[in-house]
Amino acid sequence: MSEYKRDYGDFIVLMGLAGFTLWYLLDAIRVSATPQNLLLILPLAIIVLAIIALELALRLKHGSLFRSSADEPLRKTLPVVGLFAAYVLSLETLGFDVATVLFLSLFLILKGERNWLLVGCYSVAFGLGVAFFFSQMLPYPMTLLLLPS
Amino acid sequence: MIDFGAVGQGMDLLFSSFGPWLVVVPGIILGLIFGATPGLQISMAMAIFLPMTMYMDFIQAMLFLTAIFTGGSFGAGIPAILMNIPGTSSAIATAFDGYPMARKGQHNQALGVALASSVIGALIGYVVLFFMIQPLSYMVLRLGPAEMFVVILWGMTLIASLKGEQVLKGLVAGFIGLLVGTIGFSEIGLARGTMGQTYLLDGVPVIPAMMGMFAASELFKLANKGFIVESADHRKVKIGEIFEGCKMAIRYPVVMIRGGLIGVLVGAVPGVGSSVSNLLSYIETKRRDRDPDSYGKGNPKGVVASEAANSSSEGGSMATLLALGIPGGGATAVMLAAFAMHNITGGPQFIRQQTDVVYAIIFANFAQVFLLVIIGLLFIPLLANIVKVPMRFLIPSVLVLAVMGSFGLTGNMTGPATVLVFAVIGWIFRHYGYSVPAAVIGMLLGSLAEKSLLHSYQISGGDISYVLERPVTLAIFALLLISLFSQPLMKRLKARQEAVQLR
Repeated sequence: MSEYKRDYGDFIVLMGLAGFTLWYLLDAIRVSATPQNLLLILPLAIIVLAIIALELALRLKHGSLFRSSADEPLRKTLPVVGLFAAYVLSLETLGFDVATVLFLSLFLILKGERNWLLVGCYSVAFGLGVAFFFSQMLPYPMTLLLLPS
Repeated sequence: MIDFGAVGQGMDLLFSSFGPWLVVVPGIILGLIFGATPGLQISMAMAIFLPMTMYMDFIQAMLFLTAIFTGGSFGAGIPAILMNIPGTSSAIATAFDGYPMARKGQHNQALGVALASSVIGALIGYVVLFFMIQPLSYMVLRLGPAEMFVVILWGMTLIASLKGEQVLKGLVAGFIGLLVGTIGFSEIGLARGTMGQTYLLDGVPVIPAMMGMFAASELFKLANKGFIVESADHRKVKIGEIFEGCKMAIRYPVVMIRGGLIGVLVGAVPGVGSSVSNLLSYIETKRRDRDPDSYGKGNPKGVVASEAANSSSEGGSMATLLALGIPGGGATAVMLAAFAMHNITGGPQFIRQQTDVVYAIIFANFAQVFLLVIIGLLFIPLLANIVKVPMRFLIPSVLVLAVMGSFGLTGNMTGPATVLVFAVIGWIFRHYGYSVPAAVIGMLLGSLAEKSLLHSYQISGGDISYVLERPVTLAIFALLLISLFSQPLMKRLKARQEAVQLR
């Protein structure tokens, strides 16, 4: 990514952090405005907002408000993030065993593995093995579709 | 200071039968496996195997649990070095230089450095415990909530300013982490920031959040690479290089001893422990070094500082457990449960009445440290093979382990969901240059910071002049200001000097 290319992401993240801080402070005040409740939250929130304001002021001064220093290829990383999100969100529906096998095989295909036998064997062996190990080790019930729970 | 009669009785307890020793080797191996698996915690291993200790006598139970502790302290450093994912929060600083060493193809040396530092650190911890158990317990009692609060603030400031160029972003990340750490029910029973969700009443599950932030930020980024170590030559596991790493660690005795002492002292403070000691030791070593810019780029001294401190913390936390009956962290909390299972109450009475048992535990740990060398050397070649695995296999496998481990910690979907949310936050933070370690440590310490501040407020009745009567608090606060402003001031002075010389 070019050093001079405009990137609003960093600015949006900074604003998002300021927004979270403000929301959390207001929520804490709504719950109780007593000193005991706000002893840490109020001064800390003010400090965070002041630092964010200072960071923005410094960037404005240096003319780098929308300049990005990140060089990670987002196009390659976003599908990985999306696949991981789909995996976690499907655990309850597909069960830990099937969801894990699918996640592993899709990840391998996404990252260029074309040995289908290896994809299948590894995904099934590792996915089912890990799901079985944890289902036996943990004292909580795990949603499983194929394996005995 | 030392009761030699009790020392003799302690030796008798240990060596009159082979029974107590039968559990040590399995304990170390379990600790190594749980510590080295991202998502599985040392305290989790101890909790899972706690019921087994019911069938052991007290000494055997303590030896088993401390063996898991010892193995786990070193084990946590293995994924920190090989994958930049600390097995537990006690190995965060190990990743700072251990992982860059691995990326340079020095993974064998880094593991050797970590092993030697862990072994010597643990030894320092137990030697200090042997000589200082009574004075240490007195010192811990002197630390009030005001001191605890400024220690946390100091630590946070130091951690946040680790990334020299982006101090402001580091501070934002650290302080927002502290705010997130206070979500849920407070000490006075008020629920903040829960958005009406019952699963947030106990706060954000910190360990799944930590797993998400560390795993995601690095693993998502690494998804576009072929191997952890790109050069095929560098991926070879060589026992000779591991030994070389062990020798490398011994070359820095000052770093090791300082790390060991920081570990014992911080480990003795309840609730702080090895999660903070490794970072404090790392920061202190970096601050004192002639070439601080080399840290974070694969300086073995960074690994020595972190591993010596997190391993010696075990001795410190055992001091608090034995002398005061207060657990320093999750692992010692499980030990406290083992105490209860055997109808034993830790504290000054326990030390006075069962001094022989205390010394037996300490001596057994000396032996465990030497066993760790042998078992560690046998296991490292097995575990170091991780670098030979292509990233497209390694990344989804580690993510799966993290998700399963997080489910194990919470017992419901809160764990995996937290991993996902903080995975995305961690990735965004790293992408835009915010300090992920600062945010994580903030989350870990948020509720403790609030509790300490609240207790100080209650003790002082809201009178701020109370702080002026606490010299230790003022001294730590002064250190905080020095560490915050000294670095930019020194840089400015250096730049000015260079400008003058150029003229």
